[in-house]
Amino acid sequence: MSQPRPPNAPSASGNPSAPPQKEPSSSHTTGLRYPSNGKTIYHRHLSRSKTAELSQASFAYLFSEMVTYAQRRVTGIQDLEKRLNTQGHPLGLKLLDLLLIREPPRSQSRPLNIITLLHFIKINLWQHLFGRQADRLEKSSDPDAPDEYMIIDNEPLVNAYVSVPKEMSQLNCAAFVAGIIEGVCDGAVFPARVTAHSVGSKEEGEMWPGKTVFLVKFQPEVLEREALIGGKG
Amino acid sequence: MVVYSFYIFDRHTECIYSKSWLPPPSVSSHDPLTNPPTHPQHQQPPPHQPQQPPQSTTTTTLTLTQKQSSDNAKLLFGTVFSLRNMVRKLGGPDDAFISYRTAQYKLHYYETASSLRFVMLTDVSTLSMRNVLHQIYINLWVEYVVKNPLSPVEHKGGEGVRNELFELGLDQFVRGLM
Amino acid sequence: MCVSLIQPPIHQSHRHTKRLSRTVFALIIINKAGGLIYNRTFHEGGLNKISTNELLVLAGTFHGVHAITARLNPIPTPGANRNSASSAGTMMRPEPPSGLEVLESENFRLQCFTTLTGIKFLLFTDTTQTNVDLTMRRVYEMYTDYVMKNPFYQLEMPVRCDMFDRKLLSYIREINNR
Repeated sequence: MSQPRPPNAPSASGNPSAPPQKEPSSSHTTGLRYPSNGKTIYHRHLSRSKTAELSQASFAYLFSEMVTYAQRRVTGIQDLEKRLNTQGHPLGLKLLDLLLIREPPRSQSRPLNIITLLHFIKINLWQHLFGRQADRLEKSSDPDAPDEYMIIDNEPLVNAYVSVPKEMSQLNCAAFVAGIIEGVCDGAVFPARVTAHSVGSKEEGEMWPGKTVFLVKFQPEVLEREALIGGKG
Repeated sequence: MVVYSFYIFDRHTECIYSKSWLPPPSVSSHDPLTNPPTHPQHQQPPPHQPQQPPQSTTTTTLTLTQKQSSDNAKLLFGTVFSLRNMVRKLGGPDDAFISYRTAQYKLHYYETASSLRFVMLTDVSTLSMRNVLHQIYINLWVEYVVKNPLSPVEHKGGEGVRNELFELGLDQFVRGLM
Repeated sequence: MCVSLIQPPIHQSHRHTKRLSRTVFALIIINKAGGLIYNRTFHEGGLNKISTNELLVLAGTFHGVHAITARLNPIPTPGANRNSASSAGTMMRPEPPSGLEVLESENFRLQCFTTLTGIKFLLFTDTTQTNVDLTMRRVYEMYTDYVMKNPFYQLEMPVRCDMFDRKLLSYIREINNR
């Protein structure tokens, strides 16, 4: 089945599940490469590539280009962060679905209150994206802002190689990750605004210079609903 | 250990002596840097090689080689001079440039108090040749050039350096090292 | 005629001062046009303090000298002979001669590493420093990580990356305190 075939050999021989349209003759001309057994990434089972690892270097270069791209014709740091956020948002929407489907069937339900949602983000999302959990989860101690929660990452993977120039010290490129979180929240119908803030230069700065807080600010209707159901989901 | 070539520069930055122990390149080679650097004024055919290019091209080949080797010596002097200045700037006025190496060869440098500069090119595995250069200075240069009553004070155009005793002594000494 | 191998007095005065420490003094990075894009001193007192302007000039000079040292290669390269090279057709091209790789002076040692993209890393160390190849490799690795993967770095421009500074300093400090 998985025996290598010459690129133009008919696919009908041993691979009935392979759709006929990705007959390698086209790949031959376009330069796209298909695996010899005809199974592209789209044919893989969703749960199977769970443990697949990616090269951090290739991600770093890709991310570097993403930031450079977002910087074009940008009006300011706020605008740049917003663009990065926008790049991450659709990823969050899609990841919510993917991660839920990979859950064991009994816990395979959408998070229904703020705490389960945040735990889902801290554990499942972080594990999937970065291979570890987020470092901490906090609720804002400010009584005026009951809608604010914080997800804390001591050294965000996206910032591993990023040195922000002094004149842009407000910027944190993890705004991209904030966008992903926002996407997950929105997808789970917990509309929120998520922003990334560097706190490394303050206390504990020596230990974790890249420490980042993702501030999750839910919309009022979310809190309203939360109050109605009494936080039980 | 292999010695490729040897140069002496005087305090006027002129190359007053040069000698190569490399096998002479074939006539067809046009790479200027592979030609043996022989001195412009006292062109000597290499000892073991009675090579006679065709008569018609002799003069042109010869002038070309002379020009190339003199250019080469200038290039060499420029290099060691820049490096020596750089070393002094970074390491302090008492610091001295000793040697550098590339993947292909190693250059050794020794400067006397009278700003006479000895340069030797060897293969990369050779250890420091500073002692050797120093010995060439005291045992050959001082003995056969400085103490020679017929030798001038300034060796303009290599005058007085290329005498029999010095050349023979140098050749024997270097061949003894290899 | 025979030259005895006596130890000249020039070296001995410096021998004992050399053994003091094993230290990396400084790092300089030169871009492919000869411009200085990074310089950092790790150990005061290793090298003379020189102004940024002088350092810029020095980087430019070194860049030029480096190119010349590659040209000064005395060994005829196989394939320098064009006739034989053309007849060989698609034969492998020989490695081009490298420029200066290691420079030694009485007070310091300079190791130069040229990347395939033409950037030069100059590491100034104590004369007795060992394993500079390894250090160089690590520094290059950090450069590729924290400079090349940084979205705010523009190619060929001066390197101003906190992360690179931080990692480099802690790595060199570890070596210098060993």
